[in-house]
Amino acid sequence: MSQAPTNAPANDPTRTPIPQRATTMPVLTDKAWRARLDRIAAHPAMRKDNITLPDNAGATLSTGLLFVGLIAFVLTVLGAFVYDPRHALGAFEIGLFTATAMSLGSMFFVMAFHSVNAGWASTVRRQFENVASVLWVCWVMLGGVVIIELVSGGVLLEWLKIPAGENHLIDAKQPFLSGGLFVARYVVYGLVWIGISQRLLALSRKQDETGDRALGRKARFMSGWGLLAFALTTAFFSFDFLMSMDFRFFSTMWGVYYFASAALSSVSVVVVILAAIRLKGRLTGAVTEEHFHDLGKLMLSFTVFWTYIAFSQYFLIWYSNIPEETAWFVYRQQTGGYMPLFLILCFGHFVVPFCILLFRRVKRSTGLLAAMGVYMILITIADMVWIVRPMVYAAGYAEANPGVGGWWLDAAGIVSPICLWGFFVVRQVTRGPLVPLKDPTMHEALKHANYV
Amino acid sequence: MPKLPIPKPPSRDEIMALASEYFPFVPRPRPRYVTREGKRVYGVSAEFSKTPAVYHAAEKVRDAGYTRWDVLTPFPIHGIEQAMGIKRTILPLLAFGGAATGVGGALAMQFWMNLDYELVVQGKPYAAWEPFAPITFELGVLITAFTCLLGMLALNGLPRFHHPLFSKERFLQVSDDRFFVCIEASDPNFDPARTRELLDSLGADRVELVEDED
Repeated sequence: MSQAPTNAPANDPTRTPIPQRATTMPVLTDKAWRARLDRIAAHPAMRKDNITLPDNAGATLSTGLLFVGLIAFVLTVLGAFVYDPRHALGAFEIGLFTATAMSLGSMFFVMAFHSVNAGWASTVRRQFENVASVLWVCWVMLGGVVIIELVSGGVLLEWLKIPAGENHLIDAKQPFLSGGLFVARYVVYGLVWIGISQRLLALSRKQDETGDRALGRKARFMSGWGLLAFALTTAFFSFDFLMSMDFRFFSTMWGVYYFASAALSSVSVVVVILAAIRLKGRLTGAVTEEHFHDLGKLMLSFTVFWTYIAFSQYFLIWYSNIPEETAWFVYRQQTGGYMPLFLILCFGHFVVPFCILLFRRVKRSTGLLAAMGVYMILITIADMVWIVRPMVYAAGYAEANPGVGGWWLDAAGIVSPICLWGFFVVRQVTRGPLVPLKDPTMHEALKHANYV
Repeated sequence: MPKLPIPKPPSRDEIMALASEYFPFVPRPRPRYVTREGKRVYGVSAEFSKTPAVYHAAEKVRDAGYTRWDVLTPFPIHGIEQAMGIKRTILPLLAFGGAATGVGGALAMQFWMNLDYELVVQGKPYAAWEPFAPITFELGVLITAFTCLLGMLALNGLPRFHHPLFSKERFLQVSDDRFFVCIEASDPNFDPARTRELLDSLGADRVELVEDED
């Protein structure tokens, strides 16, 4: 053991100098940065044929999705005219809100990864960016819904139909529940969502070409206020389009409830996309079982998060027993006959996936986790069915219109927006490199491992 | 199917050795080796000053087939589990057992209490499942947390009053800048001469015999 001279005078040359404390963070020099870029480019997983799909990849899939989506769309429109516009629009919205949830959740994860500088996620972030960047498709389809609602004077949004002074609960919620502000909010959602998602993808794409470190910092700064803007727009979007279907009902947890579905379904869809890419023999060594393990952990935690939010909301409404709130659940559980769906959500959205995703082997297996991803997307659709579908028949609609629609109208309505959205996602995924090429934290993602 | 990582049950000697750590009236089993002075031999330790050296040394000791040995470092070394050939812990299984006990116990307790002594509260149904959920969750988490903490301590052999390595002055540097590999004499492969030779061949700075207190 070295004996430090403790009683030596201050000017003693043998005295060990006290190291100066660094006042600023160490700065990566340009030379070190270029060396890092070279190391990343020379990594065996970053071969060109490993990180890009072949030219015609996904062509069959995207054509199929477009074909199915268009046929289903035609069927939905046909059903709206032949059977019932309310039923058709309700089914279409179930699919549309699921697709929007997947894109919105992806945008959240891109910003979350940027703002915490998540090194492990660099190789999977591009797919989140791709899924988020098709938010404009959701917004355009949502525009169709807004136009139908406004032109027809309220199909599913009952409050558009009822004139002022007739219902106290609507009057009390003025001017929030009015056509003008509704459209204004719809425009704001579009500006925020499309602005953020396109800008984040553009910054990442530009960094692929220039390798400019400042772009990563820009994305990081943008993610700070972007997360706040995302939280507000997502919450108000879900208030406007989902909660206000029953204008009597209100829940302060509603925005978080929709966000929980968004986060869960976006991780699921990215797992499915990455598994499909791995099936094509790409991204070997760039997206490994370690990344799938972490995505699986996110899936597990957001399964629990959804349960926590959904149960808390239900529990408080059940306990406090306020008529405006309980009507929403009473119709679904008792008079409307949606109790089987409630049980399906309890077990299918929590108990079963929780018990399956607990296993490390499931999270580390590409195929099993992708199967769970597909399942979680389906169960998210079931969650949207639980929210939207009873509203189609609420307020005595079923008694007034016996035998409206059929199961095929539900199927077509749900499938159509998801397939059209999927067409754009596949096109976006196949377009460019599958990972960011010159990300500042790429080297961390390439050697990522779970040391547990 | 991979085999579940369930360890072999300890032998009688191992149980006695463990018990004697905590209860002075339990006789310690006879040692396998003693020094010329008649002291018990705990094992052989090797001292390293570089992380890669101790990492590669661990790989060699693992490949030599030793099972009762340890690497002692001032900080966690990523991947040392693989280098030492440590199997995954059974703690998750224990935690699942704890969770199942907590959840099952909480549900059984509440349903039994509410059905055995029915009470109208706020006009809610008897034994409604909704108010049970928070208690079920809390009890599940509580028992799981206790199982994890106490199970981790038990699997690590903690707490213990003394460890033979602490009687060596040089070993105290393990909390500063030295790395140690210690092979215990209770290892079936242990042989005073050959184990020492192996550690010498690994490029250790210093190889020493570790004696145990009586």
